[in-house]
Amino acid sequence: MIDVRDVVVEYGKKAAAVRAVDGLSLRVAPGESLALIGPSGCGKSSLLFAMAGLIRPTAGTISVNGESLTRPRREIALILQNAGLLPWKTVWQNANLSLLLGREYPRVTAQAVLDELGLGEVKRRYPSELSEGMKRRVGVARALSTSPSVMLMDEPLASLDTLTKERIQDLFLRLWVRHAFALVLVTHDIEEAAFLGQRVAVLSDRPAQIKEIVENPAMGELNYRDTAAFADTVQRLRAGLER
Amino acid sequence: MAKPRAKRALAYVTDRVRDRSFAGRIAIYIGSLALLFGLWEVASLVILKVKGVEYLPNPVKAITEMQRLGPLLFRNFWTSAWRLVLAILIAFSTGYPLGLLIGQERWLDRFFSPIIYIVYPIPQVAFILLLFLVFGIGNPVKVAIVAIAIFFQLLVSARGAAKEIDPEHVTSVLSAGASRFQTYWHVVIPETLPSILTSLRVSVGLGMAFLYIAEISGSVSPGRGGLGAFIKASSFNTTQQAAGILAMALLGLVLYVIIDIIERVVCRWRYTARRST
Ligand SMILES: Nc1ncnc2c1ncn2[C@@H]1O[C@H](COP(=O)(O)OP(=O)(O)OP(=O)(O)O)[C@@H](O)[C@H]1O
Ligand SMILES: [Mg+2]
Repeated sequence: MIDVRDVVVEYGKKAAAVRAVDGLSLRVAPGESLALIGPSGCGKSSLLFAMAGLIRPTAGTISVNGESLTRPRREIALILQNAGLLPWKTVWQNANLSLLLGREYPRVTAQAVLDELGLGEVKRRYPSELSEGMKRRVGVARALSTSPSVMLMDEPLASLDTLTKERIQDLFLRLWVRHAFALVLVTHDIEEAAFLGQRVAVLSDRPAQIKEIVENPAMGELNYRDTAAFADTVQRLRAGLER
Repeated sequence: MAKPRAKRALAYVTDRVRDRSFAGRIAIYIGSLALLFGLWEVASLVILKVKGVEYLPNPVKAITEMQRLGPLLFRNFWTSAWRLVLAILIAFSTGYPLGLLIGQERWLDRFFSPIIYIVYPIPQVAFILLLFLVFGIGNPVKVAIVAIAIFFQLLVSARGAAKEIDPEHVTSVLSAGASRFQTYWHVVIPETLPSILTSLRVSVGLGMAFLYIAEISGSVSPGRGGLGAFIKASSFNTTQQAAGILAMALLGLVLYVIIDIIERVVCRWRYTARRST
């Protein structure tokens, strides 16, 4: 369970301070999925980085399973905007970055995770030798490698073509069901939010505040993209963003 | 009949040039050296024609002279080589890490940048006399002069490279739980290595120039004073001088090749992108 309470994130000092997140509160229960959608530059990444323990909120608290968060933790995984792969490390090394950094976890899963994501064949390659979609999947493999209970994603599929994007969204859904992590997905793609969020929080312009929370209970149904419920959620999200 | 044959010959040559195999690369190396020696020959002929004196001996003469001088030249080559290599090692092992730290840690940058801006633009040769006066003209000072020059070169470029680090790479290892040291080891160093190695290549030329100046200043013993001293002592024997210069060029070439090999190994990831998949 991740609990964000009255969090403020500011950059810079005093008069020159830029407020990116403005007293925002939200809760994500174990195994739940929440999508955050908002305009470009509104402070989505800042909020997510705070939830990953990478930046300390200027005010407010963030706690994970009752413990307050002060630094990155093994049970919280973060997938970055461009997968965040290190070009000088192979797919295998990138996927097992946590192991490389000396954080122990059951190693047997590493190969299994790569196979599950269809990366078993390319594990000795460098990122520059992969397609864009493969790179994102390596980012996913890295996040899964520590068996996290919370998965944070920062626009994980930005600038992918529609087909690849939908294929990986399907993958995310399967992984979410199978691995039962809580998912917090930041995106500015309305359909992505409607496809992957049980709830979708619509954020305001900078500084980010929650304007509205759209419930999306039918999410995860078979061929959800083709249903009326999906179209309805998309409709409501669009209205929420424009408001 | 002549035309297609010429075409075929041309195709043969261009094929060899594009050939990326080991033999192909050697062939290109030899071709490029042949061009250089050809130009040298022409320059030598022109100078002889215009001035009537052979100030610039042709390559064949220079190489023959190198052979004739044999052990004497080699001793000097060896002296210069270890001085230069030692200076490079000292400068690299201090300037590179220090430059990275200054580029990464803001408070260090604030403190050291003014010093760098003041000291870096002064040509380091300006300190030679001072160093000679204080420490004498022995080996340590000669190595130190070269090391100081390269040190600043590497320091400034390491600092610049460390400022260009992609923040996403840092975020990526931090979120995987990296310590500060691990951030340096897994991101800052590999990401800056290519540009530092480029800078190291520039430093070889720079270091050579400073070594020459250091070696022609102070004692000049043609026996083991280094190539600079040898060249200076050969002022009135242009053939011997050309042999010394050629030996210096050879030293540079060896160092460049070594740096190339090091880059191929430590920056392996940069060379795989060209491999077709
Ligand atoms: N390290 C930083 N220093 C200063 N200002 C920053 C920093 N990081 C972000 N900002 C500012 O904070 C605001 C919010 O940035 P943030 O990256 O959180 O937005 P975002 O919603 O993720 O944007 P995008 O959709 O472009 O990813 C922006 O105005 C940005 O300029
Ligand atoms: Mg962002």
